Amino acid sequence: MADLLQGTLDLLILRTLTLEPQHGWGIARRIHQLTQGTFDVKPGSMFPALKRLEEQGWIASEWGESENKRQAKFYRLTKPGRRHIETEVSNWKRVSTAIDRAIEATS
Amino acid sequence: MTRIARAVRNLFRGKDDDRDLDRELRAYLAFAIDEHMRRGLTREAAERAARIEFGGIDQVKESVRAVRAGVSLETMWRDLIYAARSLRKNPAFALAAITIIGLGIGVNTAIFSVLNGLMFRELPVPEASRVVSLTQAVRGQARGVHGMGSFFSYAEYEAYRDRNQTLSGLLAYSPLVEASLAGNEPRQLVGTIATCNYFELLGVRQALGRGFAPSECATAGSAAVIVIGNGLWRNAFGSDPAIVGRTISVNRTPFVVIGVAPPGFSGTEPVAADFWAPVTMQTVLERGQNLLANPGMSWLAVLGRLKPDATLARASADLRLIAAQIDRLESGRRTALFVRGATIMPQIEERTFVFDIGGIVLGAVGLVLLVACANVANLLLARAAGRRREIAIRLAIGASRWRLVRQMLTESLALAAIGGCIGSTIAIVGTAFVVRQIVSHMPPGFPSLIIPVGSDIRVLAFAMALTVVTGLAFGLVPALRASRAELTAAMKDEGADRSDRTRPGGLLRHGLLAAQMAGSMVLLLAAGLLTRGLARSQTIDPGFATANVSVATFDLEAAGYDQARADTFRRLLVERVAALPGVDAVAQARVTPLSGSHVQTVFYGQDDRLIRVELNSITPAFFSMLGIPIVAGRAFSDEECSADRSVVVVSESAARGLWPGRNPVGQRLREDAGKRSIDFEVVGVAKDAQVSRLSKSDSMYLYFPASPRQWRRLALMVHASTDYASASNDIRSAFRAIDPELPVALAKLSDNFEVWRMPSRIAAMTSAVLGALAMVLAAIGMYGVVAYALSRRVREIGIRIALGADRQDVIRLMLRQVMRPVGIGAAIGMLIGAAVSRLLGDLLYGVSPYDPVSFVAVPIFLAAVALAAAYAPARRATRIDPMLALRHD
Repeated sequence: MADLLQGTLDLLILRTLTLEPQHGWGIARRIHQLTQGTFDVKPGSMFPALKRLEEQGWIASEWGESENKRQAKFYRLTKPGRRHIETEVSNWKRVSTAIDRAIEATS
Repeated sequence: MTRIARAVRNLFRGKDDDRDLDRELRAYLAFAIDEHMRRGLTREAAERAARIEFGGIDQVKESVRAVRAGVSLETMWRDLIYAARSLRKNPAFALAAITIIGLGIGVNTAIFSVLNGLMFRELPVPEASRVVSLTQAVRGQARGVHGMGSFFSYAEYEAYRDRNQTLSGLLAYSPLVEASLAGNEPRQLVGTIATCNYFELLGVRQALGRGFAPSECATAGSAAVIVIGNGLWRNAFGSDPAIVGRTISVNRTPFVVIGVAPPGFSGTEPVAADFWAPVTMQTVLERGQNLLANPGMSWLAVLGRLKPDATLARASADLRLIAAQIDRLESGRRTALFVRGATIMPQIEERTFVFDIGGIVLGAVGLVLLVACANVANLLLARAAGRRREIAIRLAIGASRWRLVRQMLTESLALAAIGGCIGSTIAIVGTAFVVRQIVSHMPPGFPSLIIPVGSDIRVLAFAMALTVVTGLAFGLVPALRASRAELTAAMKDEGADRSDRTRPGGLLRHGLLAAQMAGSMVLLLAAGLLTRGLARSQTIDPGFATANVSVATFDLEAAGYDQARADTFRRLLVERVAALPGVDAVAQARVTPLSGSHVQTVFYGQDDRLIRVELNSITPAFFSMLGIPIVAGRAFSDEECSADRSVVVVSESAARGLWPGRNPVGQRLREDAGKRSIDFEVVGVAKDAQVSRLSKSDSMYLYFPASPRQWRRLALMVHASTDYASASNDIRSAFRAIDPELPVALAKLSDNFEVWRMPSRIAAMTSAVLGALAMVLAAIGMYGVVAYALSRRVREIGIRIALGADRQDVIRLMLRQVMRPVGIGAAIGMLIGAAVSRLLGDLLYGVSPYDPVSFVAVPIFLAAVALAAAYAPARRATRIDPMLALRHD
């Protein structure tokens, strides 16, 4: 279960970043909005996940200024990251449809 | 590229990263506080709420750090596993690469371990890092030299010893003191005479007995005590446990044995010492010269031990002040003093010599490593091309380019590490073994050498650094290139149809091939030139005959003779030897031709200018025995020898140089012998011969009569019709019959040639082995490149054959493509070879550094090898079945 959750979080973060580069807090807020409050990502899981994605080369970070003039570290998708999310999304769709069907069939 | 740069920088991150993370988390908190305040909380309440939501800041930091460490460790581990798996899948490639790298790193480590032993290794004594050596270069003072020019006089040693502030002690010693040990079988020894603090300062404890007491150096010639080396104790005294207290006779002086050195200590020089005696015994051991009392004589090596609080820099400054004080006593004298960590070869002359030779040899083995790197890089390029689809797929599913580069670098570093480990282990063990073999198989009578070649931290560091550099050198370019694959083309494998040359990868491969060719060419040219030089030295006519001449050398001075007794000894000896069966001529000389020893004196030349001329003191039989004709005037007579007449026979070159255009016979030659000068009358001219240096016959040379004043060290040259074994036996017993205790060394005159041929033999062998190694590597590289090019163009060749191309044309096509970089590389190699061949200088014995034979034969040979290496795989092109080829993926 932990693996799936970690994968889910990674996917959510990457998905958030496809729209525009974003800082940690912004990513957390955006996920909260996109999932309509289902996922509330805590810093304790957010930052290790960001680090992991950065080490894998899917995202890159840069210091910049937020709209309210605060210094923040912005994350953006890299080219390999963009390719990665395409495959991950299609994988996810396949898996989730499969699981949906399985659940439908048994219930 | 910027990403890779950043990733490289990331390798060296740490603290900066932590600070960055801290800043980021605080920014996050600030955003959270903003949010809460926007919802109407007060600042304090907002801060509290944000912190509670956030959880422990330190826990977050810790888990981020764990990810960081875990990811890099995990990645490295995964890369290693991946590398191991892909190498195992391709064992032929792995084996070839490891062998090539192992050879390259191995030869470099071997050479370095020898250089390290000679130049950098500390002395084998306790706390060796605190022992320093002093050497000096003195200008503006006429100094005598006994040993090496950078040695000190006793008075200088005393000045440094008594005035310094930074050393806990300073010792001096004179190495290579020759002496004879009396006994049933007289032995020639090489020993050291040292100040009495020698053993104490070095921290060497005797295996038996004691070292010197300070009182034993108090007055000259008073303390006849001796410490003998462990080897001498075992060999000459059968490890006698009661040796201490016994009296032994050294140079006919009784010495009391006070100690036996421990087995691991044979002195502080490259030549092992058989004994140690107090420096104050110099006049007793070396009769006829008082070095102790001469303040302008270089004869002592000096070592000191730093005080616990002193550094090398401070000691150096301190001792240089004393050097300046000494300089002030004599106008015009300038001393350059060098203080270094003590090694086995600290003297300036020794270091220059080893640095020169070592530089050339390191250059040669460096070239081999370069060829090896170029070779493995080529193998990797070819392999990476074969893995293009795999790489493209990995890039497509989102692996970053840096990840791929890093993973491929891990693979090449793993290859380098395996090759380097095996290569340098074999090198270190092998070098120690070879050196041990050489040292223990020296000709009898040769002093035993100490070359500490074993591994130490410097050798290991060198091997490791070389391994990493090598891994990066051959891995980086192929990795960068491979990771830049064009995705769609690679996936469809379109590249295979394009001509190899038009692809940039092909250019790089060909460049590397040219580099291998150039490297092998330089080494093989050197080998060719040296072999020619060696051959020349063997067939060279030295201008004198050596057949059937035996040489007996002996040192009457060391054996305690004086002039009167020496005179009697010589007369008796010549009588006895001349009467031996088969002996038809006996001559005496101060040095034998080409022995490597040279005697020079200063004469007044043309216009009273002082010139140094080489000379020998001989009996007239010398000329007839060696077949050196007298071309004008006459040789001197035996009577003129014993009467010490002032006559001289000059060589043709000397006659030309000293009295150009005039008849030399009857001229006078004045020797500059200090206050009184001596005039010699020229009675004859001898034909030029290469008596001084092999392949040099035009040097000025003077022959003086062997006067009774020349009695100390002599050579007796005997021409006998019997074979050498029986002649030398007879001669030895003749010596024994007159003085059973006098050590005498016997050899063939022709052995002297070996002294001259040895360096070129060693150099020729080394460069031939290295050259062959480089050539084999280059040939493997050729084979690989052609085989690879072939495999990439199977379809093209198939089409050509299907369309009716002649199979020979196809082969020619394949060959033409690789022979071009081979030709360019060979040309570059010949240019470099011509530029550096002058360094070989004296080893060529008159063969020109641009010797046409070498410069034609070597390139032809190398081209033939290259062609053969390329032809073997190219021939397979003819066996291609067009139908199969067209279907080839």
